[in-house]
Amino acid sequence: MLTLFFDFARRFARNRAALVGLFLVLVVVGVAIAAPWWFPRNPLRIVGRPEIWPFMSPRYPLGTDSLGRDIAAMIAHGARTTLLIGLCASLTATIIGITVGATAAYVGGWVDELLMRLTELFQTIPNLIFVLTIVSILGQKIEYVTIAVGVVTWTPIARLTRAEFMSLRDREFVQACRAMGMGSLWIMFGEILPNALPPVIVLSSLVVAGAVLFESAVAFLGLGDPNVTSWGQLIGDGRTLIRSSWYICAVPGLAIMLTVLALNLVGDGLNDALNPKLRDR
Amino acid sequence: MIMGSKAGPAPILSIEDLQVSLFTRRGVLPAVDGLSLTVSAGETLAIVGESGCGKSLTALAIMRLLPNPPAKIVGGAVRFMGRDLAALSEREMQRVRGKDISMIFQDPMTSLNPVVAVGDQLIEAIRRHNDVSRHEARDRAIELLRQVRIPDAERRFNDYPHQMSGGMSQRVMIAMAIACGPKLLIADEPTTALDVTIQAQIIELMKELQSSSDMGLIIITHDLGVVAEVADRVAVMYAGRKVEEAPVEALFERPLHRYTRGLLGATPSAQRRRGSRLVEITGNVPALSDLPQGCAFQNRCPDVLDRCRAERPQLAPLLPHRSAACFAAEKELSRDAAAIGA
Amino acid sequence: MRRIIIRRLVQIIPLIFAVIVMNFVLIHLAPGSLFDVMTSEQQITDPKMLDQLRHTYGVDQPVSVQLAKYIWSVMRLDLGYSYRQNAPVFDVIMQQLPATLILMLAAIGIALLVGVTAGVLASIKVNTIWDNLISLGAVFFFAAPSFWLGIMMTVMFAVKLGWFPVGGMRTIGVDESAFGAVLDVMHHLVLPATALGLFYAATFARVMRASMLEVARLDFVRTARAKGLSGGRVVLAHVMRNAMLPIVTLLGLQLGTMLGGSVVIEAVFSWPGIGSLLFDSVMSRNFPMVLGVLVLGSLLVAVCNATVDLLYLRLDPRIKAR
Repeated sequence: MLTLFFDFARRFARNRAALVGLFLVLVVVGVAIAAPWWFPRNPLRIVGRPEIWPFMSPRYPLGTDSLGRDIAAMIAHGARTTLLIGLCASLTATIIGITVGATAAYVGGWVDELLMRLTELFQTIPNLIFVLTIVSILGQKIEYVTIAVGVVTWTPIARLTRAEFMSLRDREFVQACRAMGMGSLWIMFGEILPNALPPVIVLSSLVVAGAVLFESAVAFLGLGDPNVTSWGQLIGDGRTLIRSSWYICAVPGLAIMLTVLALNLVGDGLNDALNPKLRDR
Repeated sequence: MIMGSKAGPAPILSIEDLQVSLFTRRGVLPAVDGLSLTVSAGETLAIVGESGCGKSLTALAIMRLLPNPPAKIVGGAVRFMGRDLAALSEREMQRVRGKDISMIFQDPMTSLNPVVAVGDQLIEAIRRHNDVSRHEARDRAIELLRQVRIPDAERRFNDYPHQMSGGMSQRVMIAMAIACGPKLLIADEPTTALDVTIQAQIIELMKELQSSSDMGLIIITHDLGVVAEVADRVAVMYAGRKVEEAPVEALFERPLHRYTRGLLGATPSAQRRRGSRLVEITGNVPALSDLPQGCAFQNRCPDVLDRCRAERPQLAPLLPHRSAACFAAEKELSRDAAAIGA
Repeated sequence: MRRIIIRRLVQIIPLIFAVIVMNFVLIHLAPGSLFDVMTSEQQITDPKMLDQLRHTYGVDQPVSVQLAKYIWSVMRLDLGYSYRQNAPVFDVIMQQLPATLILMLAAIGIALLVGVTAGVLASIKVNTIWDNLISLGAVFFFAAPSFWLGIMMTVMFAVKLGWFPVGGMRTIGVDESAFGAVLDVMHHLVLPATALGLFYAATFARVMRASMLEVARLDFVRTARAKGLSGGRVVLAHVMRNAMLPIVTLLGLQLGTMLGGSVVIEAVFSWPGIGSLLFDSVMSRNFPMVLGVLVLGSLLVAVCNATVDLLYLRLDPRIKAR
């Protein structure tokens, strides 16, 4: 098991861009974890003069926004929101996707047909419009945003899981399990799933990046949870001041971009490291 | 080398000491090593050998279509009608390809663009080298399709490659190759991917087209049945080198190189087998990255001598009009000569 | 061919049906009665009107009847009435739709032009500085939120340089000829379409590069070169023609995301399309409008998807054989 891990780490490390991505992700995670100690007070509280530019005041290294709130504190606390929503939404999407994909492939027949139609349906609905609809009906709470984003991003995972299951379903080891009288559920999730998982994990890691982008768009439009700091919300708040203080938009935007970039790079690295073609050799 | 070349008209193509190397991570590998060949107008030269012996790379080198990276011409000359093709600019070479020298490939099903109608692919070839209107090109294309015996040519003109069988596609490829009346046609395993019955038809067609146009033909194959059918002269390649060259009857009559003997023995369709036993060549072609010192065939050769392991045999004119690079053959022939002399 | 088109269009029907049912479920999922929220948000207090609305939405009937009624009304394109605009929802959306279509088409155009060009360039100059620069650019634009890109572009090109207007679709108060009006709209269109299109351009560039490299290895490309075609002609007529196929598939898959993305971009640039309408309706809790946009948006994507499929059919003759 350990050698397997080292093998994996070595292949991952061969992709230098992925290492940069991993480093950036670790930095963001570190900031998110350290935020409550670093900026112990409510980041949304007003601390000083509004519109101090970054690097001008040592107390507020990233400046203050239109209300005089510390941008650095908001960025640090926003990292928590962003990562949390990204991870939870991706988890939601992965669970839905695997369930739908696995069931469709394993059961087949009309169930497969129905579930694939459902997947098609969710692919057709303009996803951000759907998220906004859900959030506006259910209310602006962080849980609803997370679920809504998860609900619009599961389709590629379902398709991939289905394809993987299809190719594994008729392999010898599955037939052996059937011959031994194992239950369908156990075969599906205990035997086939672990083998189908690597490419699904890669896709899930990419879905995290997509979820971060979705969350930022929702928050930017002012439909995020108003009681939680978020990068997108910060950009939305700063939008009115682009003539005088465009940095208020620029800084959190850069944070989003770097995070998404890093997550994408890690996803690519995982793809290389877990590439099924290489694995089979 | 006087005896190696055929008496008659001056060759249209003469390859001199061609070197093609593969630049790989494991180093520079000599895929074609010091190859010399000639082809005259109206003549058919067959290049035979197992896969990986460098015969296809030779063909692509003549056309300057080597996949680069990794393959590259690193030495020698490819003289065609007096010009060294290896030294031409890419733009000059484009005017030679398809006009003076054409090529057809092994797998006709993948050699045609799947999203373009075959007629349009023919027109493209015609209009590239001839200043004709689209309408004229279309008439010429349909004429070509008839010439390669495609029934219902006018209707087939609008077909896409996936609507055609392998044999039909290869006919289209041939039509495309002869569209501009080339002086030399290179056919790289033209029948390998086809059914046996279709193979014979395609070979027949190529023979016919050649005889009516006096073009030179290089046919690359590992099928000695095809060789016996069409070739005037045969060059046998092994591990990047030419190991034997002879007129076709002479080669089948008495192959000199032990590898050639192996090939003839290993081919059920060969007209002659040495004795009654079917000789299988044991072992595999050595990798280019670790060719042994001495003869590259030594580890598979039934008649290997100590000398073969120490020294690499050079191509020598052992009999009139033919040459071989084999110490065992040399020894055998000198013994024959001694017997006659005695 | 006509039969294929009809068959493809018929496939849309169950999809739209499902969207309508889902809409209905969403309404009933809402905490409290959505009807109460709706009426209170729109400040309808007149009891006569409330009764009338109760009847229109069928709130006083069993769920199955309500669903049937809802489906029936949507089928007749009756998506409800918006008191905010004082017009039927369907009419309001139709009025705003052209602006969104223009924005989407322009964004698709930019995405294809930039993405395909960059991908082709990267594949031709593979493993050179050009390839690396294009890949780097693609990675960045793939990660940048489009609304942020839009704002940054506004700061740069509208506020600082003054090349383009900050927002809107037309210059107010200028009465121009038809041609002048088109130019004016195009002038306003540049920034929002670019901001929306660049993300997709990045995707297309990556896919196009990979696809070009893959196709370039195929046998028929060698045949094309053996014909004596110039390098440019080989790339354009043979490699690109085949490498475009995955791009078309991808475009079809991304139309839904693109329509969603235009919502944010419209908000950034005050572009008067259905995105702005949706944003405004969400903010004012104008639910008939929100749900109307969802239904018609889905219909739009479904129709566009079918169009892309039919386009693919034209581009790849092999499909028809199946």
